[in-house]
Amino acid sequence: MSFRSIIYTFCFLLTVSIGLAQQTGGDLLIKNATVLTITQGILEDADVLVENGLIKNIGKNLTGPSSLKSIDAKGKFLMPGIIDAHSHIALSAINESSSPITAEVRMKDVIDPFDISIYRALAGGVTISHAMHGSANAIGGQNITLKHRYGNPDPESLVMKEAPRTIKFALGENPTRVHGRGKNLQPRSRMGVEAVIRNGFEEAIRYSEKWKEYEQALKGKNSTTPPPVFSERLQTLAEILDGKIIIHCHSYRADEIYMLINLCREYGIDKIVFSHVNEGFKVAPELAKYTMGASVFSDWWAYKFEVYYSTAFNAAILTKNGVVTSINSDSGEVIRHLYHEAAKTQRYGGLSDEEALALITINPAKQLGIDHLVGSIEVGKQADLVLFDKHPLSVYAIPQLTIVDGHTYFDIEKDKDDQRLKVDPNEKTAPIFLNTQHHNCMRDVDFFFTGFGRNLFQHRH
Amino acid sequence: MRYCIHSLIFLFLYSLALALSVNICFAQSDRDASKRVGSTYVITNATITLFPGNTVKNQNLLFEDGIIKAIGKNINIPPEAQKIKGDSLFVYAGLIDMANKTGVINPELPEKPGDFDPSDPIPELAGIHPHFNALDKYHKGNDQDEAWRKLGITLSQKLPKGQGMLPGSTAVILYGSPQNNNVLKPKNALYAKFSNVGGVYPNTDLGIMAKWRDLMRNTEIYQKHNLIFANNPGVPRRENNKVLDALAPLMENGLPVIFETSDELDMRRAIGLAEEYRLNLILTGIKEGESLIPVIKNSNVQAVLTIDLPKDQFTTEPKDDVELSADYQSRKEWSLQAYKKAVSLAGEYERAGIPFGFTTKHLARGDLFKNINTMIENGLSEEGALAAFTINPAKILELEHLVGSLEVGKMANMVILTDTIFKEEAEIVYTISDGYVFDYTEEIKNDAKKEGSMTWEYTADTNVGESKGTWVFVKKEDKWEGTITYDNPDGDGTTQSDITDLIITEEVMEFQFTVTVSGNSLDVKVTGNISVNDFYGSMDILNHGSFEVTARKKENPDKK
Repeated sequence: MSFRSIIYTFCFLLTVSIGLAQQTGGDLLIKNATVLTITQGILEDADVLVENGLIKNIGKNLTGPSSLKSIDAKGKFLMPGIIDAHSHIALSAINESSSPITAEVRMKDVIDPFDISIYRALAGGVTISHAMHGSANAIGGQNITLKHRYGNPDPESLVMKEAPRTIKFALGENPTRVHGRGKNLQPRSRMGVEAVIRNGFEEAIRYSEKWKEYEQALKGKNSTTPPPVFSERLQTLAEILDGKIIIHCHSYRADEIYMLINLCREYGIDKIVFSHVNEGFKVAPELAKYTMGASVFSDWWAYKFEVYYSTAFNAAILTKNGVVTSINSDSGEVIRHLYHEAAKTQRYGGLSDEEALALITINPAKQLGIDHLVGSIEVGKQADLVLFDKHPLSVYAIPQLTIVDGHTYFDIEKDKDDQRLKVDPNEKTAPIFLNTQHHNCMRDVDFFFTGFGRNLFQHRH
Repeated sequence: MRYCIHSLIFLFLYSLALALSVNICFAQSDRDASKRVGSTYVITNATITLFPGNTVKNQNLLFEDGIIKAIGKNINIPPEAQKIKGDSLFVYAGLIDMANKTGVINPELPEKPGDFDPSDPIPELAGIHPHFNALDKYHKGNDQDEAWRKLGITLSQKLPKGQGMLPGSTAVILYGSPQNNNVLKPKNALYAKFSNVGGVYPNTDLGIMAKWRDLMRNTEIYQKHNLIFANNPGVPRRENNKVLDALAPLMENGLPVIFETSDELDMRRAIGLAEEYRLNLILTGIKEGESLIPVIKNSNVQAVLTIDLPKDQFTTEPKDDVELSADYQSRKEWSLQAYKKAVSLAGEYERAGIPFGFTTKHLARGDLFKNINTMIENGLSEEGALAAFTINPAKILELEHLVGSLEVGKMANMVILTDTIFKEEAEIVYTISDGYVFDYTEEIKNDAKKEGSMTWEYTADTNVGESKGTWVFVKKEDKWEGTITYDNPDGDGTTQSDITDLIITEEVMEFQFTVTVSGNSLDVKVTGNISVNDFYGSMDILNHGSFEVTARKKENPDKK
């Protein structure tokens, strides 16, 4: 090891340890709440003891050291922090729309810890969001699961390190419009989308074989085999095939969903979640049998041709068919009231309180591979909690307190008019924006369109 | 007796001439150092700052062939040495600019093929041309560098131009005689940015980061392959790759990468890449991110701060009688805090003990000393400011043995002023670069009594074709007036209008005039930026659109 590399390693370790020091969990005692555990029923007048960011104990008359911060939650409802399985907040770029496959790009590179949407999501009780690549490409980038630890300028501090890797896929109109119509490349049709994915996987298989041969050759004596060219794109696709990455696929129509289910079965992939899934109700048994579930909108459709055949009963039908179902935002606005979105499934489909709340807690946690850590109030899980003044499925409910890792990140009592972390020093007065920048599936792609193309392209999902 | 009177008159005239010229020793100003008679100079009896914080008085400094030969009170002065009288003058090491593009033009890129695939472009069309060099497109002796030299800059790191993520390598250039090759280091770092050419891969920071990882991994593999190929028969040849060849020195011998950053997230991205691939990183364009100071302090990342500060919109605000709402007040207070943070950043770096440099990129020349003084008022020490412009960049550029302070054996790069360097009244009388003396004494005298008149020839690109004419400006009693000529819209030949609301500074120009077309009058507004002798801006005709205008100042318009 050269002197230089020693210095680098040292410096690297130093930054890592600084990062860790900032991430110790908080201590807290919440008393006398109606605790909606999601997985273990409802506990009336119960206490939740949090130690070092983890749930230490749940029960009655719990005590901690006298210095422990205690919150009287009498008459209030405590539920696990809401989890959004499909979001684009806290990102400074969303689509690398220049190629139909961009499996090598990582959303981790473009986390924007200053995005006010994080605070707005906290004010809606959301503690975890799945920051995804957009839907311009058949195979987009690697997503990142974020914990809403708002206030730290280091993007790394938002990353939920325990979360497994996930990747964005997209079917249907968006990739065909961007690449086919926009640039005259494949895919131009749904058949093309399948071909792009299939060709990608085939190439990845050949790529892995080449590297395996090379590694095998290295074991031989005095090997003179040169290394093959490296491609993180193909490497990532190979890791999907190896089951190391969960696919989250933007989709609407039953035929394309069924196509990808079959394609995944053919390649031995079982880690796949479908997003949006407006026609999911038509293929509910297949989704239940072969996938990690579906993440849907409550009642959002008709913003383009492929989303006309839709129903507000979708989430309920999927749930009743045994599909692990979640409701997502895909929007910096909807993320503020996902509990309302979940409540709609009681009007449209008659889901129970527990089923409805599972749509925004334990189910999205399962889809992100983090259900052993979050998504319910259980001893040993991370203390991501939200306290409501009324039952969260009531239309009158307002989040009072949002806690991540035992630390309070939103407190309605201390909610200032302006919670931005940073303003532009070139502005004479910090500006107010009446319209927020849209965090959506199709940001960063409009370069590829003429005025005509853009007009065709007003929808965002 | 007559003889005596003659000599008295002579003496009188002589002393008058001396008094007039004060410290000026050359009969004629030599602002472009083109008329020098020898290469040996001595600055006598001056106040010399050898190093930030180390100033000595009544010293002589001898330099010959661009090298400092002696500094001291009693030094041997060879008879051929040309004298620069330093009485009441202040001498500093020449300023060093860590990053700028002045004098560099865009590289020529290959044509896009007919079947161009934006998802897989050739590297040059994706903004990836690390094999280019700033020197390929550098025009030495350009107006802009001369103007910067007049502000004391003697050495700079030239950045290559290009829209994409890897425009090429940088070069260190002396602002010396235009007759010479002034390259001090032809390839001292690789320039990188978080920007893209648009419409091709990589198109966002997502693609740029992925491309960096791809390039780093493949450079390693490429080198490994070539090594095996060179030493063993029967190994397939790896196709020669200009891009990877240019990147190899980053990993092989620690060639620094100078990363342009526009915010703290860019800085973190660049630091992340440097950690992952063990790159020697210089961050440039730093203007924010106090939280990164400890990270930079504890790594061997080098820092270059921009002098292009946000404008002060707070201290000069006229008092308003209208009562402002609490909300407005609080938002204004917040902006003020953001501004204060920006202008005190350099001081924070100094307190943390980070030896940072300065870049003039994006900076309007007129703001150079003004902005440095703003930093000084907000916590940066004068020594710190001087160090950031001399010894620190010398170290970052690995040229400490040659430049950055005044020592025997170092290069004769200096700036000489009438007062201490950051005093508002201080005027630069000489800049010395590479031992060439650029004398601005004559100009200072002229500036003082400048009445001023200038003529510009403009070309406007209107929707009915090109329109040409002249602008004539005259300064009378500190006020500019002028006329514009243009093709007569109602007939043949040219006609003219008076110019109103004229503002001319070193950086910007704007004015208005009225054109009469078939009885109707059109109000036209011209606004734009001046870069020495060139103007670039727009001509806005109310309700009729905006057209591009370029103009060039005519030198000596009176001489036909």
